Amino acid sequence: MDWLSELVRRLWMLVRRRQFDADLEEEVRLHLELREQEQIQAGLSPKEARQATSRRFGNATLLKEKSHMAWGWEWWESFLQDTAYGSRAMLRSPALTIIALLSLALGIGANTAIFGLLDAVMLRALPVKDPAQLVLLGKGMSSGITDDFARTQLYSYPFYRQMQRENQVFSDTTAIFSMTNGVHGFVEGRTESEPMNVQLVSGTYFGTLGVSTMMGRTLNESDDNSEGDHPVAVISYAWWKRSLARDPNVLNRTLKLGVTTYNIVGVAPPEFFGTKVGEAPDMWVPLSMVKEVPPNFGGYKDNFSESLLIMGRLKPRVSIIEATANVNLLYRQILLGFPDAKLSQENLQKLDKTKVPLTPMATGLSSLRRQFSEPLQILMGVVALVLLIACANIANLLLARSTARARELAVRQALGARRTRIIRQLLTESLVLALAGGALGIALASVANRVLLRMVSGGLDPIPLDVSIDTRLLLFTVAVTIATALIFGTVPAFRATRLQLTDTLKAGRGPQGASGKNPLAKALVISQVALSLVLMVGAGLFLRSLVNLNNVDTGFNKENVLRLDIDSSSAGYKADEPRALAVDQQIEERVNALPNVKAASFSAFTFHEGSWSSDIVVPGMKTDENINIIHNVVGVGYLDTMQIPLLAGRNFTASDTSTSQHVAIISAHTAKTFFPGGNPIGRHYGVGSNKPEDDVTIIGIVKDVKFDELTEEPVALDYLPYPQRPWGFGDFEVRYTGDFAPVAAAVQQTIHSIDRNLPITQVTTLDAQVGRSITNQRLVAQLSAFFGLLAVFLSCIGIYGVMSYVVTRRTNEIGIRMALGAGRSKMLWMVVREILILISIGIVIGVPVTLAGDRLVSNMLFGLTPTDPVTLVGATLLLLIVAAIAGYLPARRASLVDPMVALRYE
Amino acid sequence: MHRDEIPPGTLYLLILKTLARAGEMHGYEIANSIQRISDDVLQVEEGSLYPALQRMLIKGWVKAKWGTTAGNRRARYYQLTASGRKQLEMELSQFERVIGAITRVIQTA
Repeated sequence: MDWLSELVRRLWMLVRRRQFDADLEEEVRLHLELREQEQIQAGLSPKEARQATSRRFGNATLLKEKSHMAWGWEWWESFLQDTAYGSRAMLRSPALTIIALLSLALGIGANTAIFGLLDAVMLRALPVKDPAQLVLLGKGMSSGITDDFARTQLYSYPFYRQMQRENQVFSDTTAIFSMTNGVHGFVEGRTESEPMNVQLVSGTYFGTLGVSTMMGRTLNESDDNSEGDHPVAVISYAWWKRSLARDPNVLNRTLKLGVTTYNIVGVAPPEFFGTKVGEAPDMWVPLSMVKEVPPNFGGYKDNFSESLLIMGRLKPRVSIIEATANVNLLYRQILLGFPDAKLSQENLQKLDKTKVPLTPMATGLSSLRRQFSEPLQILMGVVALVLLIACANIANLLLARSTARARELAVRQALGARRTRIIRQLLTESLVLALAGGALGIALASVANRVLLRMVSGGLDPIPLDVSIDTRLLLFTVAVTIATALIFGTVPAFRATRLQLTDTLKAGRGPQGASGKNPLAKALVISQVALSLVLMVGAGLFLRSLVNLNNVDTGFNKENVLRLDIDSSSAGYKADEPRALAVDQQIEERVNALPNVKAASFSAFTFHEGSWSSDIVVPGMKTDENINIIHNVVGVGYLDTMQIPLLAGRNFTASDTSTSQHVAIISAHTAKTFFPGGNPIGRHYGVGSNKPEDDVTIIGIVKDVKFDELTEEPVALDYLPYPQRPWGFGDFEVRYTGDFAPVAAAVQQTIHSIDRNLPITQVTTLDAQVGRSITNQRLVAQLSAFFGLLAVFLSCIGIYGVMSYVVTRRTNEIGIRMALGAGRSKMLWMVVREILILISIGIVIGVPVTLAGDRLVSNMLFGLTPTDPVTLVGATLLLLIVAAIAGYLPARRASLVDPMVALRYE
Repeated sequence: MHRDEIPPGTLYLLILKTLARAGEMHGYEIANSIQRISDDVLQVEEGSLYPALQRMLIKGWVKAKWGTTAGNRRARYYQLTASGRKQLEMELSQFERVIGAITRVIQTA
């Protein structure tokens, strides 16, 4: 503990350093006086005594300084001094300081905001115990329900139970339903339903994650040991706060989801949002209730109702490789052991080829990550470049300033200041500037990341992500700030102290000083121009991609269509009940009759809403081919509502009922792929099987539509009428004329006049729905355009600053030239030429860099290549023009120099 | 009169030893004591005592308190601490080892 008590003594000294200095002073004075007395007593004259004493003592001032420095705080004292000096210097040139601070605040703020989002989406570990031990079976890329044999993404409940029992590598195993159930439930005692996101999980969920509740108990195995009789829920902290106003008596309250009443048994801790980043369920309910929670998925005992994600916690000292081996062994055994497994030749072959990968789950699951990891990385790169440009700018400003301070620094060096000391002072000044910019940047980021989150959410409710400024983010910002200070401060500091002392002292404006040559400043401007070009071209490519995406032919007319969701399962309707069918048809009829409504229809999907697909059985086609197609279950008016053109055959009519012949309309791509040659109309196929009840007759062919993404190739698709294939509907579409708002109000009123308990959500336009599918492209395009313009703006400030400086330094040269007869236009050209040369060099360097860099983003482009010449030429021209304007202003000033004034100045 | 400079690095040793013998001294007394005991052979540049004393304060080898001299002047008196005593032993044994080695080299020649 020696060093500790030493540190305490040193700190004590720092606090009391005035006292310490005074003590030392007194001690030394005593010493000198006593010695002097002694000498006088020995017979010396007072003057001789003083000289002898001083000789014996040595250099008192130096020794006092050495004693003071022994305490090791002089760095701190000089830091304080430099900081004070730096702040005063900044306040003396406010214009420069404001420009520098603004560029820093924007640069650092943008980096902090983007990093905050990147961290929340991609990097932050789950708020659970030892997240690094968690692994997921499969890659977690799917959600939904499938009966596909030997798929490794989703698993059935019986599979989960066997895996849990028989594996030797996990200390705990849990299953999570791959979708959240969006229920409209009732808090006990309330008459209005409210949206509740329910996450179904196995009883082991909280135990596996090592998460305990803040209040009450977690779910446990006994909540999940028999089907349908464990109506309990653990609610999230956020929901407790939002919907129950932090009721301390919450454990005595109940909820109604569908027809079942649930007891609230616990409240999760505030930081726990579940296991999916970007989705925060309001409550967790045991999987044993899977059939009771709307929309009543079920499949608890079905060996091939695959809808679960399985997560395990590795036992200590079990590697992921051992775990993978064990899991794969069991995977095969369990599947082959199910009595109802369809062990056809192809399925067995498929099983042989299948391997279950284990995915580390330290950062949780996220579909958000899949969507945004690339855009966020691109944006991170963009903002890093913007910050570099800002650094170059500030370095330039500091260079100009340090040249102006050349005499001050030369005098100090001549008086014996060490070069390192002066460099340290200049760096401290840079740090003060950077820290001030960083503080502003954090303030900016705290606003910007809310805006960003809203952009990422694509117009819906904000995605539940925590993007507030936390310690991690602060550390990141501090690191960026210090790096920034070093980047923009180092070069000017070294240059400013590398002086020919005598020259600088002699003249201050000698021949060297007046030449205006400043290669470093010009190099900085060139690199700014090059980097700006990279950003401009990038922004141009993204914007043009966005335009291309907006011009894609979707196959349907997305204008003037209202769409909304009706949650009929929460209102107690079952899809196959006759009364559900009756209500649906009544809604269609009544809405159709409204003024300004041209057509209205239910459908299972419109665009970008997921899908239901299955194999079809086409007579005469081999069954082992890829015969999977997407189905959309629709009302009679769907094709009219969406304005999907009928190419051949007839549309659905009211006479296509559950008892008439089952019919289907297929897309052009389906016709071409599965019914080549001859007219498909009148032909038959089986939806999912070759059983008679699944057989349909083709009555029409329609134009291909985009179904999930604007960028997709034509997909095989068919439309089935809902009277013949009941579907618990979500989507309702209305084609209208005139204004959206009155129609939307009238439609909702009409629906509620039929059943006032039907919850209606997501009332928006089809256009907005389509727009949401390109949220990330829009995000990248808008932000990169913003940052591209910012970069150009910063570069222009740089060009303006450097050229102004050059012109000022050359004032007398210009004066002499003009006195000797050079015209104003010649002077103007002389300066403009210099700017144009700089910009051209920057562009020449920038073009290959751009071409190399833009190849990295080719995934994000649509309808053009990274080397798109239009974008490249356009960006170059724009940059050239803007930069030339920035340089023209100082050039004009040069041409207006009065030769007499310029010469007198000398 | 010619005086020898003290060998580098031995100043701490001299101060520690002096304080160990005398118990409590102020700077001027330490300087005088070293000179007197070495029969005026060792000449300390008197001022350099003070940075050394500051460093020893930091290390915790000595502690200081203010008192009054015989002539009724305020003076800072230094005193050895337990860790100062340990340091003295260490420096002494190190010094003897070095001197022993040097002596052996000289005598062998």
